Amino acid sequence: MTAIPVQPPPIAIPAPPRTTLFLLAPGLLLLFAIFALPLFGLVLESLKQYVPGRVGSAVDAPLTLENYRELATPSFAGVLYETFKLSAAASLAGLLAAFPLAYCIVRRFSPRQRAVCIGLLVMLVLLSMLVRTYALELAFGSVGVARPLFLALGISPTSRWYTETLVAAGLLHAVVPMCTLTLLGTIQNIDPRFCDAAQSLGAPAWKAHLGITVPLALPGLVSAFLIAMTFSISAFVIPMVLGKGRVLFLSNTIYTRFSDVANYPSGAAVSIVMLVISLLVLSLVSLVQRRRGSRS
Amino acid sequence: MSNAVEFHRVSRRFGAVTAVDDVSFSIAAGETVALLGPSGCGKTSILRVIAGFERPDHGTVSIGGRDVTALKPYERNVGLLFQHYALFPHMTVAENIAYGLRHRGADRREIPDRVEAMLALVRLQGFGSRRPHQLSGGQQQRVALARALATRPGLILLDEPLSALDAKLRQDLRAELKQVLAAVNSTAMVVTHDQEEAMSLGERVFLMQAGRIVQVGAPSDVYGRPGSRFAADFMGRTNWIEAQVTRRETGLARALSRSGLSLTVPDCPSDAIDICVRPENIILSAADDADQHGMANSAKGRILNVALLGSTRQILVEMAGGEQILVMQANRVGDGLGPGQAVTIGFPVDACITMPAGNPTGLAA
Ligand SMILES: Nc1ncnc2c1ncn2[C@@H]1O[C@H](COP(=O)(O)OP(=O)(O)O)[C@@H](O)[C@H]1O
Ligand SMILES: [Mg+2]
Repeated sequence: MTAIPVQPPPIAIPAPPRTTLFLLAPGLLLLFAIFALPLFGLVLESLKQYVPGRVGSAVDAPLTLENYRELATPSFAGVLYETFKLSAAASLAGLLAAFPLAYCIVRRFSPRQRAVCIGLLVMLVLLSMLVRTYALELAFGSVGVARPLFLALGISPTSRWYTETLVAAGLLHAVVPMCTLTLLGTIQNIDPRFCDAAQSLGAPAWKAHLGITVPLALPGLVSAFLIAMTFSISAFVIPMVLGKGRVLFLSNTIYTRFSDVANYPSGAAVSIVMLVISLLVLSLVSLVQRRRGSRS
Repeated sequence: MSNAVEFHRVSRRFGAVTAVDDVSFSIAAGETVALLGPSGCGKTSILRVIAGFERPDHGTVSIGGRDVTALKPYERNVGLLFQHYALFPHMTVAENIAYGLRHRGADRREIPDRVEAMLALVRLQGFGSRRPHQLSGGQQQRVALARALATRPGLILLDEPLSALDAKLRQDLRAELKQVLAAVNSTAMVVTHDQEEAMSLGERVFLMQAGRIVQVGAPSDVYGRPGSRFAADFMGRTNWIEAQVTRRETGLARALSRSGLSLTVPDCPSDAIDICVRPENIILSAADDADQHGMANSAKGRILNVALLGSTRQILVEMAGGEQILVMQANRVGDGLGPGQAVTIGFPVDACITMPAGNPTGLAA
């Protein structure tokens, strides 16, 4: 009798490492070339000594922490504070506006209305930021069509307070569609009968949403907030157009150092600071979320 | 005393679908009613109208004598057990049970005691700090029951309370559910598509078909005196014999089936009739058994096959004229019934339910 060789099942055989590597190689190479390498260059540049008057650092410039130390000034702290304050305000306000909007789209609209709304939101996200921002400037800027209205209300369209509000509003209008789109899936995944159950147990609709829908949507709310926040912190066009140089964000500072004064090392240092801050916000919020998650 | 629930000509449409079609009924205080019907016939819609989640397009709903048609769900004290329980996943079992107490204005100091009492009622002491996902299906069902009953609602609605459980557990929990409902002594409506469940839980059965309630009665009535072919078929297995009335006597009719069986059945105004005979009312014996001579109806045939179901068995008999009759019997040992065997079947007059032929719903009779 001959032994019949046992055939291994033809499924779930992991690809040999070599094939995996082969498949990954183009992507990895590309990422290395256009992401890792330039980023490394940026870090290196931020550590080089800058001689005023030059364009960028000298090839053999000595390494130094001077570019970072120089950032510890009240004016740079002011830019940081401004960036954070307006970003956080816009993100929170955006979240507050987006949640009911997303809820309505998912729960109240017919499939057709839903499709139209989602299409509109995607279009808003994809529409040129510059165009949208200039439209805002024309409507609400210091010489915008709304100027007489503001003057009549006793609001000066050239005050710092007003300019800050305008920048925050600019961020808000960019952030609301993003947050709404992020929250659609979250709300879709919450069983509407939880809310029904709460109401049958005596909770009015608003209490049911506060006690049931919102806590269950928390992970989605956190993600939406993070997306809004990281977008806002790195915003460039919005503070440039609406802030008119009076409200400066980190990105505007970076642009000035690279383009106007050609101080590449300093611009690189600010960039790295911005990157680190964004990563910190991300990890902090997800850390808090993981804590909550493991507790429950 | 006013009725616990009263529906007066209630309709609810969803687009082209009429989920609830001109339905009227009343439920007495303390009564347990089973709302029975096939999937999609509008049972959940009726429940949601009572609970206030759906506004009827027409008609009025009263609870305890008060017109509640315009009231919001939280303004009615109606306990609701959802089809898949809808336990709040981010709360513990105790928090779930306490939710209604907190929102119905119970004294805060009394809440823990009440939660404990509810856990005891459903035999889940010590489970208060668990989360719903840490419980088995049966335990989740009991928590949902405790949550719905915690506020002492005068009326409790249960939507397919056992359908998410497996068959064995379902039977145990059915008995338990019945005990708990009796213990709290409130009016209850149990929605189900399972006629066994309806008959064992409900004091009365409301049978639904396509948005309408087609028959109301005690379980034995609905089962034993179905008003339509639909009702007869939905309540259990039946044999249908199509026949023509040949002669009438007081209260009785002689009828001849298509295949030539001559039958004595309760009288019926129509000449063309459908005769319904439940399989368990048919007695089956060896071909020339003297027992059958006392029966009003008897006929000879041959066993086609025998299906064992455990404690019972279903025997399919082919009659001489070609008709196939299903017989249900206790599964006794050693009588050696098998395919091919010649047998005699017999059934009394009152085992026959007659209805006019060609009226599958019994609605427009
Ligand atoms: N919210 C709704 N929107 C549209 N159609 C619905 C809605 N609720 C129920 N229906 C329809 O009404 C009919 C009855 O549904 P339902 O009451 O859930 O039946 P059952 O509980 O008996 O299975 C079904 O045809 C269903 O599709
Ligand atoms: Mg249903």
